Amino acid sequence: MSALEFKRRNGCERFGLKGPLAAEWLEARGIAVPAAPNRWTAAARPSAIADPGADDESMAGDVLLVARLGTAEFFLEDCAAGSRLRILEPAPESPQSGVYPVLREDAAFSLSGPGSYDVLAQVCNVNFADLELASQPVIMTLMIGVAVLVVPQMVSAWPRIRIWCDPTFGEYLEESLGTVVTESGGNYRR
Amino acid sequence: MMYRLEAAPEEWIDRSVPLSFVFEGKRYQGYRGDTISSALAAAGVPYLARSFKYHRPRHILSFANHDSNTLFQVDGVPNVRGDVTLVSQGMRASAVNTFGGLVDDKARLLDRLARWLPVGFYYKAFHTKRLFPRWERMFRTLTGLGAVSLDAARRTTPKRYGFCDVLVVGGGPSGLSAALAAAAAGARVALVDESFRLGASGLGLHDGERRATRALIESVNGSARITVSSATVAAAYYADHWIALADATRLTKLRAKAVVFSTGVIEQPAVFRNNDLPGVMLASAASNLLLRYRVAPGLRAVVVAGNLEGYRTALGLHSQGVRIAAIVDLRADLTAEDAAAAAECAAAGMAVYRSHAPYEAIAGAAGAVVALNIAPLAAVPRAGVPLAGAPLAGAGRPEPAGRIDTGKLRRIECDCILMSVGWAAAANLLLQAGGTTRFSDALQQYIPSSLPAGIFACGRLNGVYDFDARVADGARAGSAAAAHAGFGVASGADIARADRCPSHSFPIIDHPQAKNFVDFDEDLQVKDLENAAQEGFDSSELLKRYSTVGMGPSQGKHSNINALRVLARYRGVGVERLGLTTSRPMYHPVPLKLLAGRSFNPERRTPVDAEHTRLGAVWMPAGNWRRPEYYAVSGETRAQSIEAEVAAVRGGVGLIDVGTLGKIEIHGPQAGLFLDRVYTGKFSDLKVGMTRYGLMLDESGVIIDDGVIARMTPEMFYFTTTTGGSATVFRELQRWNALWGLDCGLVNVTGHRAAFNFAGPLSRELLQPLTDTDLGEAGFPFLGVRTGRVAGAPARLLRVGFVGELGFEIHVSASDAAHVWRSLHAAGLPRGSRPFGVEAQRVLRLEKAHFIVGQDTDGLTDPFEANASWAVQMQKPFFVGQRSLRVLKTRGPRQTLVGIELLDPARMPKECHLVIEQGAIAGRITSVAHSRTLNKPIGLAMLSPELARSGGEIEIRGDNREILKARITATPFYDPKNARQRSIAAA
Repeated sequence: MSALEFKRRNGCERFGLKGPLAAEWLEARGIAVPAAPNRWTAAARPSAIADPGADDESMAGDVLLVARLGTAEFFLEDCAAGSRLRILEPAPESPQSGVYPVLREDAAFSLSGPGSYDVLAQVCNVNFADLELASQPVIMTLMIGVAVLVVPQMVSAWPRIRIWCDPTFGEYLEESLGTVVTESGGNYRR
Repeated sequence: MMYRLEAAPEEWIDRSVPLSFVFEGKRYQGYRGDTISSALAAAGVPYLARSFKYHRPRHILSFANHDSNTLFQVDGVPNVRGDVTLVSQGMRASAVNTFGGLVDDKARLLDRLARWLPVGFYYKAFHTKRLFPRWERMFRTLTGLGAVSLDAARRTTPKRYGFCDVLVVGGGPSGLSAALAAAAAGARVALVDESFRLGASGLGLHDGERRATRALIESVNGSARITVSSATVAAAYYADHWIALADATRLTKLRAKAVVFSTGVIEQPAVFRNNDLPGVMLASAASNLLLRYRVAPGLRAVVVAGNLEGYRTALGLHSQGVRIAAIVDLRADLTAEDAAAAAECAAAGMAVYRSHAPYEAIAGAAGAVVALNIAPLAAVPRAGVPLAGAPLAGAGRPEPAGRIDTGKLRRIECDCILMSVGWAAAANLLLQAGGTTRFSDALQQYIPSSLPAGIFACGRLNGVYDFDARVADGARAGSAAAAHAGFGVASGADIARADRCPSHSFPIIDHPQAKNFVDFDEDLQVKDLENAAQEGFDSSELLKRYSTVGMGPSQGKHSNINALRVLARYRGVGVERLGLTTSRPMYHPVPLKLLAGRSFNPERRTPVDAEHTRLGAVWMPAGNWRRPEYYAVSGETRAQSIEAEVAAVRGGVGLIDVGTLGKIEIHGPQAGLFLDRVYTGKFSDLKVGMTRYGLMLDESGVIIDDGVIARMTPEMFYFTTTTGGSATVFRELQRWNALWGLDCGLVNVTGHRAAFNFAGPLSRELLQPLTDTDLGEAGFPFLGVRTGRVAGAPARLLRVGFVGELGFEIHVSASDAAHVWRSLHAAGLPRGSRPFGVEAQRVLRLEKAHFIVGQDTDGLTDPFEANASWAVQMQKPFFVGQRSLRVLKTRGPRQTLVGIELLDPARMPKECHLVIEQGAIAGRITSVAHSRTLNKPIGLAMLSPELARSGGEIEIRGDNREILKARITATPFYDPKNARQRSIAAA
């Protein structure tokens, strides 16, 4: 990862949960959740969906991303090949007292490499370079007018920024960020 | 006449790289590093501009990126600031605001008509309504700076955000010192300065100060914690230490934890007749031209002095080879330091005239200054009459201590006049930041009196003038700012302010023939301000608005203080009684391209956007979505395509993407109660598997949204909002949910779910093979909701009367959308199905008289006025807007929505055309279209209740004031018994 790169991430499974019993619901299924809001964790994949043969180098060892978006709101993503995360997803119409499933069809992107923070500074007013990444922060903010969920990391000494947004803004965000990345000398291909 | 001097080590130009450029059609040469102004000055160009109002010839005044005298049209870009724009090879520049070129400007005649163009002329001209068009044409022709090229290419700029611990604005000695102190405490410092290089006044004509300043600059450049941004203007301050920084290529929105303003002071002109002639400039302009660009201000200079800096400038220029013909000092009494400097000047051969005033500058044939008439200030005042040239003593009140003795005029030949009479604090940002100032009589300057948390001021802005004191003051401010940002402990005591007055209290000389300019941007003379005050505009705010003082390109940087002095004299009060105006951001002009940045414009696209493109969609904006207006078909006009889309729905089946509707889920045992509170209808008693129309009001009873609410389970509802209202409605619902604390949770799935409406008499027949849901009338009645699969995808199906036909709204996840859309489209194609767009949908809805929130209603429409009382359950314990509705019901409607039929199909009104009743406005058209289904033009109109009740004909004022007639008619226009959407015939 020695060059600035921006790409759309496809093929991942996601769902969300809200509700007063959402945390308990996840923990009952063997999914460890972050202790505090606005934090993420790479949880072990629960046995119900375990897929020992799967590996995903691009996720740098992440098994199952669990982001806590609020006291009672969670976002889960699994990008491993053969992921069966959505097996776990409760059906919206199935009564689950205190657990509200959230359909997540987000557009997802990855921005990585040197110059990532400079690109972000052109589209977002959060100072990503100043974040304490060891605390595994989750940032919910606006990026060029679009509400986004951001998980910043350092991988091999370079930033890797995962970004999610409402899928209907996906084209706009991709085109706009792609332009900034390209003008910054980075790699972006649709 | 200005000219270039021989090279010097510290000059900012590179003489090894000559650059050729064109100004006003003539070719000139400058050097790399030259600005447009310096290159033209060095080339001896006699004048660079024409003034805004009187088209008087002008040349450099401030050379500080402030005044309007050096605005140019450069390579098609208007109002480029020549003081700070570098020349480039092949550049083509011209003056702005001329008619026929700079030299032969035809509008120069206006200078002779000045007496008929008094202050407020612009406003007074419009008093006569009959002459309004004539004046408007004239003003539009004569005013404006530069020419905008409407076909110029769009220039996007990379706007960005920035962050630091301490921001220091101003790179003079105090700013440099502040940056170093803050960095020493461990803070990350951003230092910005509008000049190309750091140093500012520290790199003036004083050798010792230059050496010390260079040492500070070296330290700053060597600090890893300090980021320097030169040629960058801090143009605005916003809340929480958020500063807009503008440079040549971008706007940076910088967030700091603490801010130090070391913005210094701006030199002010003396006001005397013809003080705007080419060759009359501020002493600091001459100094900077000479030191940075090696341009001498002239062959024979006169210095008009009111402070010590005047003598220092004279000595400095003299040492550089500029001949100083005379120093004209407005003051009678000098400090010891001043007197010593005056003696030094006299010893160097300069004539020093103390207690003398510059009475009038004399123009030569070419328009530039050739002489200055000076007059002694008489010691004996005229009793009781405040006089020009008199200092303001005591509490700042005008004191008649002297008068101009015009009987003893003395003419001094010169080709340049350098004004050094005082300064004004560059306090604009400090005031924007919430700081306050007070006027110091001792300094004749506004100085900070209170500063908000995290804001610090130092240097000359702070009233500290001595070089060493400025450096110490900067260190104090930098240390305090760093401490505020969490680095170190504040150190350093407050620094004593200057013990000499650096500004003359009243450098303003009256003249019977006027042309003594206070504001060079707007050609405002002393008498203009006095006349404005006499007409009642006698506060600083009113004076500004009426006379336009300070409203030109310099934004008052050279005029506000002198204007206040004129007003103070007129009112007989001190300047401190008048107060400074606070400039609104941006206080310094910023090119629009920097504000526009990359022109990001968030646009939403539904999951089947590509399918629309494939089908020939013609796009239109709807809120922040792009939606198909209609689908273009080869051989059809727009109108034909829309009519065919409508016909397909009425006669067979049509498919529309309604994914732009807001889509929200609410879960929890109190979800029904929540909906009862936010909608006018009742939903807690809605059966599982059924839907109901919902109307949402604000607390004043105004309709803000509508949609369909479906009960999926006892504790889960799924509902839609309007396309434009989805984000705001969800936000409002979250607010209510937090406020009420009910046991329920909201989930916004607007973007994550797609939705299509498959509508028309054939919809059931064509959809049934694609779904496992029983679509039969018994199993799936009108207003029912079911879950099932459509084309294999999990779906929610709602049977709603969206367009007044049998129809099904199909909601699937975004990832299944394209497949389901294609399946539906394919299913309908053999039977003549067409996709239909927003325009056909509007016609279909209008035929059913379904009002559209925001189009047929406005920001005042309540349900009674929109004939939606049927959707309101007033007997409920509570819903948002209920209390207001009770009042509104008692009062009765102010307007009523009715259906209309146009009597002449050939002449259609437009939406928003007015309905006229007995010569008065009695309503407006809200929707109108030609219905091919009904073979007549129909519409909705919001009318006065009296007119609506009449049920007769109405008159609509169309374009060109033609009157169009229509008849009020019952609604719905189409299928009034709603049999088709209920599928009664089929049942």
